[in-house]
Amino acid sequence: MSDWPEPAVDYVQAITDTKILLGQRYAQWSLAGPSLEDDIGGASAAQEEIGHVRQLVRELEGQGRDPDWLNGDREPEEFANAASLDRIDGNWAEYLASIAPTDRAAWYMLDAIDRDDLDGLITKIGEDEYFHLEYHDARLETLADEDPETIQATLEETLPQALALIGPAAHDESADPLYDAGFTDRPAAELREAFAEHYRELFADTDVSLEAVDWDAPPIGEWDETRRRADAGAIAEADVTQISGKQNELFAMN
Amino acid sequence: MKYEVFARVNQGDDTIHIGNVTAQSDRLAKVYARNTFNEEDWDRLAVVREDHLLDVEGEAKPTVEVSA
Repeated sequence: MSDWPEPAVDYVQAITDTKILLGQRYAQWSLAGPSLEDDIGGASAAQEEIGHVRQLVRELEGQGRDPDWLNGDREPEEFANAASLDRIDGNWAEYLASIAPTDRAAWYMLDAIDRDDLDGLITKIGEDEYFHLEYHDARLETLADEDPETIQATLEETLPQALALIGPAAHDESADPLYDAGFTDRPAAELREAFAEHYRELFADTDVSLEAVDWDAPPIGEWDETRRRADAGAIAEADVTQISGKQNELFAMN
Repeated sequence: MKYEVFARVNQGDDTIHIGNVTAQSDRLAKVYARNTFNEEDWDRLAVVREDHLLDVEGEAKPTVEVSA
């Protein structure tokens, strides 16, 4: 049934699960922003992420993944979302510095996919992502001025988590199975470099220092290739309940 | 900073004023405008800083200064 190379299904699953959680976190924070414009931006991004998930889930079903499992009928540890989205506590600055690098990492991974049958979908997602990432960067610029300590401390945690989603540094041209199989046109190491360079440039003239960020994380020996992360953490049961819609399945329009 | 938002649906249409947004930077204003006024498939959507608008008539009525 599957015509994607073996590791590609897990790769797209991790992007999809990260987008499920992006939609969830955007929605949770969409009334907590400092301005109406921020709230509208969050609500708009939530809607678009859910739209991306809908399309990606269809692709994963085509690769043999169970529809119920894809739609949330699974344990928290079975979600392959970036660790930065397991929970977002704290204030608006912590939220932004958690969600921004994660959304960017997921987009870099999609953009690297080299498949004619996914081209149209990825182009459409890219049109939405342009505005997500523009918004994040513009907001990080203002927050770097207003609360550099919080932005810096949060990024020291979330940038390595986003890098783990992209893949370990050891996955270069000679060792990245997705690149080797022709599913992606760039190895993870190259995506990581572009990702790191973007944030170094964004914060270059600010009071936010990225000197303490572990740009080499995660060690490949600690990296889980299915969940694309280096820790055993997971989202909460309450998140799964919401994502799966189990409590409201009585009202489903089937 | 306040920004006025302008848009047109089709190329060749007049670009009309559709509202405003408040933002801390030009970059942020453009994203806010896109998110806030995305009910149409705009051919063009633009923002202008309020202080870049050149008053023709408004708070101060124009008068011809005559110097002695």
